[in-house]
Amino acid sequence: MSPRLIVLAALAVLPLVACSGEPDPSPRDSSAGGDENHGEFAGAVELAEPALGLTTVDAAGVVRHLDLLDESVSELAGVGDASGVHTDGRFAFVQTSGGVDVVDSGVWTWDHVDHFHYYRAEPREVGTVPGTGPATVATTNSSTSGGSGVFFGESGEAVLLDTEALADGELVERYRVSTTPHDGLLVPVGDLALVTEPDASGTAARVLTLDGDGRPVPGGAHPCPDAQGTITTRVAAVIGCADGALLASVVDDELQVERIPYPPGTSAPAATSFAGRDGRPTVAALAGEDRVWLLDTRAESWTLLESPVPLAQVTAVDDDDEHVVGLSTDGRVVVLDGGSGELLGTSGRLVAASLRSGVGVPTMVADQQRVYLSAPAEKRLYEVDFADDARVARTFETPTRPLYVAGTGR
Amino acid sequence: MSAVRVVGAVLAAALLGPALVACSTSDDDDRPVVVVSTNILGDVVEEVVGDQAQVVTLMRPNADPHSFEISAQEAGRMRSADLVVSNGLGLEEGLQQHLDAAADDGVRAFVAGDAIEVLDYADGDASGSPDPHFWTDPARMVDVVEGLEAALVEVDGVDAEVVSAQADAYLEELGAVDAEMTETFAAIPAGQRALVTNHHVFGYLADRFDFEIVGAVIPGGTTLAAPSASDLADLVTAIEETGVRAVFAESSSPDRLVQALAQEAGVDVEVLELYTESLTEPGEGAEDYLTMLRANAERIAAGLA
Repeated sequence: MSPRLIVLAALAVLPLVACSGEPDPSPRDSSAGGDENHGEFAGAVELAEPALGLTTVDAAGVVRHLDLLDESVSELAGVGDASGVHTDGRFAFVQTSGGVDVVDSGVWTWDHVDHFHYYRAEPREVGTVPGTGPATVATTNSSTSGGSGVFFGESGEAVLLDTEALADGELVERYRVSTTPHDGLLVPVGDLALVTEPDASGTAARVLTLDGDGRPVPGGAHPCPDAQGTITTRVAAVIGCADGALLASVVDDELQVERIPYPPGTSAPAATSFAGRDGRPTVAALAGEDRVWLLDTRAESWTLLESPVPLAQVTAVDDDDEHVVGLSTDGRVVVLDGGSGELLGTSGRLVAASLRSGVGVPTMVADQQRVYLSAPAEKRLYEVDFADDARVARTFETPTRPLYVAGTGR
Repeated sequence: MSAVRVVGAVLAAALLGPALVACSTSDDDDRPVVVVSTNILGDVVEEVVGDQAQVVTLMRPNADPHSFEISAQEAGRMRSADLVVSNGLGLEEGLQQHLDAAADDGVRAFVAGDAIEVLDYADGDASGSPDPHFWTDPARMVDVVEGLEAALVEVDGVDAEVVSAQADAYLEELGAVDAEMTETFAAIPAGQRALVTNHHVFGYLADRFDFEIVGAVIPGGTTLAAPSASDLADLVTAIEETGVRAVFAESSSPDRLVQALAQEAGVDVEVLELYTESLTEPGEGAEDYLTMLRANAERIAAGLA
């Protein structure tokens, strides 16, 4: 008799038991027609193309979603007073007076390295992460597994959210740990996370490794003076430091932290905010107004470009042509060649009024063929074709001022 | 399964009080159980093992082998199976923990990827890592069937002679499809043997039947809403260089792609879809592996010849 038969024989005289040994009140049996969720995540449907969208938040806290395929607009949630938004390509983490509200845009992309899968599910408001003061949110490439880090600088509380639970519609704090209040970060890396620790002056000076329960891992401290800015590429999580960047990744369950120092002899300001196309290895950051840092997380190298015009923002497309897209301080989209720094295209002054008035902060979102730009004061969202001389391909009027915008479906 | 686990299962059962047994396979069926991950392999295993075993295929029709999920009962069934058959080469990402758990429990495993000569992805970020989509080449499936036969005849309770006879019959059918595909593709002139596609699964087919794969040049939906020449430049170049009259794309808006190509670039091609990673429900065009191979070969030949 095979081992299987021994078990079946033993169970046959006994009770209702799922084969895993755990009772399951709702068995999914292929004959019962209860299988709709197989091959999908929690009721999501797979799509042939990415359902790219722009999720915006206005002054009244209304969260809207613009579907870039069919140009339809839907209201996803109302979150009250909002002061910022962060996304991992699916969830909008909206900064509010009570903490961080998490809204599921219902569209996302799953990166399989050699190819992608695209999903759509019902959008919904998931819940609020309570906290006081401005929060810094750090996310990974995956919107279906791992964690998302929320750091409240005023209280020093660092909260790791369970991203898989968010995908199931539940807000679950894996842990909430208290640190010394400072302008800091909690950055998820696999099942671990890095949290900043300040020096006596209150400036982040190093990062500590936290295990899955939020406990410091012995020997897991890495110097990172004046830590600011984080982004996760498909290679590693990035944290900006005054002397370079830390790259953190998990290899065979072990955290690996590499330091990418700035090139010797350069005096350009340090990168404090990174942006790039979702998942790509190369990201961009401003080095003051006149220069651009490109960090290639795969080659572990920095490149410094001179910008032909003063810039307020920059992002890297990291396509075959190495496009880098900037927003000039006078409100134009400018396209640079990331290899040579050459100016490839310039749009008109799309967001001059927003920059002048200080109503919201125009934000760029790059994808493979387009860059999107929010224009809060102008009440518009622009779609710009960076490969075609920064041509404005589409303009979307918005019913209210899109103060904050997140690129979703990515 | 270890003796400790058996005792644990009995205890757990005893504590829950009397009821009926929910173990999936029908109560009186004491044939061995073969659990298979993907539905393409499930079809092949059923052909080879016939009624000598219960074949449990985890991945449903039209699902995605990279990301499907299984229930707790199915995971349990895997751990008490007589044989677990998987694709391997990293295809079953969502299932790997369960495959590992079954292996840890001592369940015998057959990994199809171990039976074939593996190709690496040719380009892109995955370049150099193994490509798991071997089923687009029927000759590689021949290697898999031979390995499968060897694994199945070792399973307690199957009649090895019956399984071997069924394996021989299926190998003959595979050989026939292989010959048909060779003949079908022969209609395509050598200069037009290019698959302009955003599918990532035809590397083995290209290797076997001498096609060139031109990938990642088909623009997506948002771009096509307001296209420019630059959006279509790579695709137009690929079409002109290869001389093809059809491209193979998964797209929610193939018509828009055709229109954009005609208007913006003056290029006239068909956009066709192929079966890629999953069998379909019966009647939807790819209900079994051999039908899937034939359907794809005919579409490719019709588009390119």
